[in-house]
Amino acid sequence: MTQLTSLLRRWETLLLGILLAVVLFNIARSPFYLRIENLVNVFELSIEKIIVALVMTFIIINGEIDLSVASVMGLAACVVARLHADGVAMPLAVLVALLVGLACGAFNGFWVAYVGLPSLAVTLAGLIGYRGAARILLEDKSIGNFPDWFNALGQQPLIGPFPFALILFFVMLIAAIIILQRTAFGRYVYVIGNNKEVARYSGIQVQQVKMKLFIASGLIAALAGILLAARLGAVRGNTAEGFELDIITMVLLGGVSIFGGSGTLTGVALSILIILNLRNGMSLANITGNTQTGVIGALLILSVLLPNLAGQVRSLRNRARPASPALAQVSQGMETSGSSLRP
Amino acid sequence: MRPNLHFARSPIRLNVVTPESRGQAPILEMRRISKRFDATQALNDVSLTLYPGEVHALLGENGAGKSTLIKIMTGIHQPDAGQILLDGRPVQIHNAMHAQSLGIVAIYQEPMVFPDLTVAENIFIGHAERNPFMRWGQTYRKAREILALLDVKLDVRMPARGLTLAAQQAVEIAKAISLNARVLIMDEPTASLSAHEVEQLFKLVNTLRERGVAILFISHRLDEVFSIADRVTILRDGQWISTRPRNEVTSELAIREMVGREITDFFAKTPAVRRGELLLSVHNLGKAGAFAGISFDMYRGEVLGFAGLVGARRTDVGLALFGIEPADSGEIVFEGRPCVISSPQQAMQLGIAYVTEDRRQLGLSLPQSITANITLPLLRRYAAAFGLLNFKAEAETAERYKQQLSIRAPNVRVDVGKLSGGNQQKVMLAKWLNTKPKLLILDEPTRGIDVGAKAEVHHIINELAQQGIGIILISSDLPEVLGMSDRVLVMREGRQMGIFDRAEATQERVMAAALGQSPASDEARPAIQEVTL
Repeated sequence: MTQLTSLLRRWETLLLGILLAVVLFNIARSPFYLRIENLVNVFELSIEKIIVALVMTFIIINGEIDLSVASVMGLAACVVARLHADGVAMPLAVLVALLVGLACGAFNGFWVAYVGLPSLAVTLAGLIGYRGAARILLEDKSIGNFPDWFNALGQQPLIGPFPFALILFFVMLIAAIIILQRTAFGRYVYVIGNNKEVARYSGIQVQQVKMKLFIASGLIAALAGILLAARLGAVRGNTAEGFELDIITMVLLGGVSIFGGSGTLTGVALSILIILNLRNGMSLANITGNTQTGVIGALLILSVLLPNLAGQVRSLRNRARPASPALAQVSQGMETSGSSLRP
Repeated sequence: MRPNLHFARSPIRLNVVTPESRGQAPILEMRRISKRFDATQALNDVSLTLYPGEVHALLGENGAGKSTLIKIMTGIHQPDAGQILLDGRPVQIHNAMHAQSLGIVAIYQEPMVFPDLTVAENIFIGHAERNPFMRWGQTYRKAREILALLDVKLDVRMPARGLTLAAQQAVEIAKAISLNARVLIMDEPTASLSAHEVEQLFKLVNTLRERGVAILFISHRLDEVFSIADRVTILRDGQWISTRPRNEVTSELAIREMVGREITDFFAKTPAVRRGELLLSVHNLGKAGAFAGISFDMYRGEVLGFAGLVGARRTDVGLALFGIEPADSGEIVFEGRPCVISSPQQAMQLGIAYVTEDRRQLGLSLPQSITANITLPLLRRYAAAFGLLNFKAEAETAERYKQQLSIRAPNVRVDVGKLSGGNQQKVMLAKWLNTKPKLLILDEPTRGIDVGAKAEVHHIINELAQQGIGIILISSDLPEVLGMSDRVLVMREGRQMGIFDRAEATQERVMAAALGQSPASDEARPAIQEVTL
C-alpha cells in the first residue's frame, strides 16, 4: 500500500503516464509514427541536445548550472570547420575542437569551484564569450565540404537503422546512470547539491567534484557540437545558438530540482522522450514549430506547478479538520511536526 | 562600538507563590487537548493552565508533545479534541496572526530578527504605525518606551545586525510586549546563550512576570528551569504526567517523570584516568582573527573538555585541528610526528574526526538516508569492482551502528531529516566512528537533544575513551563538560585561560576563568560578552 502510494507520488511515474498519453496520441494520429525510420528520426533531430542534457543533469543536481553549453557546441563546430578549411587533417581538427571544449569547461570550472563565483554568472559570461569566439572564427561564412566519412558519421546509419550519435547517446545514458546511482562520485554529486558545507565537513573534495563536472560538460558539449557539424554538413557562427534552454528544459521537466540535490536520470530520460515524441507527433500532425514550442513551454510550467499543487492539496486535506480549508491554507508551509519527528 | 545592555536589578523572589494561592483567574486554559498526526498520537488528553504572572516550565523529552502543544496554542495546528479557554471563554485559534491578536506570542531558540532593519522596525514589524506612511517619530518613541520598560538600553535606530544573541532576544521580547502579549511562549530561548546572557534573559523574564504576563518556558536545562519557574508541567509521549509547584520538584523526580525511568549517573563520571601514550601536542596554535596561544597535550583515552562562553572560539580550534579553517601559526604534533593540517582530508588520514555542533547545516545531509550519511566520509572504501558501490556492505555498516548506538528508526533507509535530534546526533557519531578515529572532536554533542539521548551520548563518550580514543569535548553545558572530562581547558575570546585537572575543575573556577575574572571578585559588575555571531 505505502509502496504503491510512494510509487504514484514519484515524479517519474507521472512522466511515464504523460509519455504513454503522448505515444498513444501519436499512434492514433499518424500511421507513420511507429515506423522505425520515424522513431530514429524522433531522436536524430535533437540528438546533440539530449547528449548534453545528460551532463547537465549532473551539474544541476550538483546545485550549479552551465549556460555556456550551446556556445561551446557552436565553438567546437566552428573550430572543426575553420581548421578543416585551413587544410588541417580532420581527425586532428576534431581533437583540437575537443580540447577547446575541455578548456572552456575548465575555465568555467575554475571560477565556480576554486574562486567560488556563482555558476549562473560565470557560464553566462561563457555563453557570450565562447559564442563570440565562434563568430570570430567563421565571421559570417558558412563552412562545409567535410570529408565523406565525417558527414556519414552524422547522417548515415551505423548499426542497423541507428546512426553513431544515437548509439553513443544510449551508451552514455547507461554509463551516466551507473555513475550517478552506483558510484561514490555520483553520491558526492547529490550530497554537494544538497548542502556543500556538509560535504566539505565530511572530507569530500567539493572543488574537485565541481571542477570535474564542468570539464566533462565542456568536453561533451564539444563532442555534441562536432556531431552537430557532421549531421548538418555545414557550420555557421550561430550553430547551436539557444540550445541551452532546450537542454535545461529537458532536465527540469525530468524532475531535477533547480536548487540541486535531487532528481534522477530516469526522469530526465523520460522527459527527453516526452519532449521529442511530442514534437514529432505535432510535426506529423502538421502543427507549426512555434505552436510546438508553446506546448512544450506549457508542459514545463505544468511540471513546476503540479508538484506544488499536489503538496497544497495534500496539506489542505490533512489540516482541513476541524478548521476550515481557507485557514488551513494559511498555515501550510509551516513545518509539519509530530508525525515524522518521532522515532 | 557595540551597544551595551544594562539591566536593573530586579527584586529577589524569596518564596514561591503559586497562582492558585493568590486566587487569580487563569489567562489561558488548555483543556484535554488531543492531536494525532497520521499514525502518531502527538498529544493525548493534555491539560495546561497558565495564570497571570507565572513562569510555567514545560518539560519533556523530544517527541513528548511540547512543540505540538505550542503549535496548537499559537494556532498553527488545530486540536482534534479538547477546548482552549482564554479568560474563561472558549476560543478557537485560527492561525498565528489570530493568536497574536489574542495576545499569545511565541519566541524561539533562534531570535527571528531582520538584520538590516533597525531595532524599532524589528519591534514593530507587521504592526507598524502607518497612516498610510510609516510614522517614524511615533514608532521610535514607542520602541524606546518599551525598551525602557524592560530596562534594556539599546539604540532603537541602529540596525539589528551585530546585536548579541541576548540583545536580539530582548528585541523579540520587546516585540511581544508591543503586541500586548499576555501569554509569552519561550521555546528553548537559552539554548544558544552563554551563561551570562541567560542571566540577562532571566531578568527580562522576571520583569515580564511582575507585569502579569503568563510565561510558558521550555528548556532542556533543568537547573535553569528550577531557577526561573513557578510551576513545572511534565509531558511524556504525548501524555500529561504532572504539574507541580517548583519547590515540590527535584531534578531526579523531573528526569524520572520525563523519561519514565531512573537515569543513574546523569553526568556519568569517566573512570579514573589511565593515561595512555601521548596522542596530540599543540604548541602556541593560532589563527588570525580567531584564536591565539593555544597549547595542550592530550593522551589516548583522555577526555579533554573545552569550556567557555559563547564567542570563546572553542569551535575555531576544533575546526583548525580538522583542517576546515587551518591554523596559521603554531605547531601540531600528532602521534609524535609534527604535521600541518590544511584540509579535512589530511585530518582524516591522520585519524582525526570532527563532529560538528550544527547537525542540520554542517553535519548531516538531511534528505538522504541514514546509510548514506554514515558511509559518506569513507564512501570510496565501499567501492568494489569498476568503482561500483557495494550497497550491501554500506547497509551492513549502517545496521551495525544502528544497533550499537541504538539509533531509533524503522530502518536504515529512512531519511536522516525525519529523525529526532538525539537520533540525528547518533547518526553523526556513527558517521565519524566509522572512520575509526584516534582523536574525536565533539562539538556540543548534546545540544538540543533530550535527557535520555543525552545520557546515551555520555555513555558512548565514556566507552570510546576506554577504547583509547582521545576525545576533545567542546560543550557549553558546564555540568556536562565538568562531569565528562579528565581535564578541562578554558577559553575566553580566543585565548587559553588555563587547563584544570578534574579535581580542581569546579564550576566556580571554570566559570571565573571563562569570564576572565579571578574567583575572588564574584560581585564585580558582569562584563558584557563581545559575542561574534
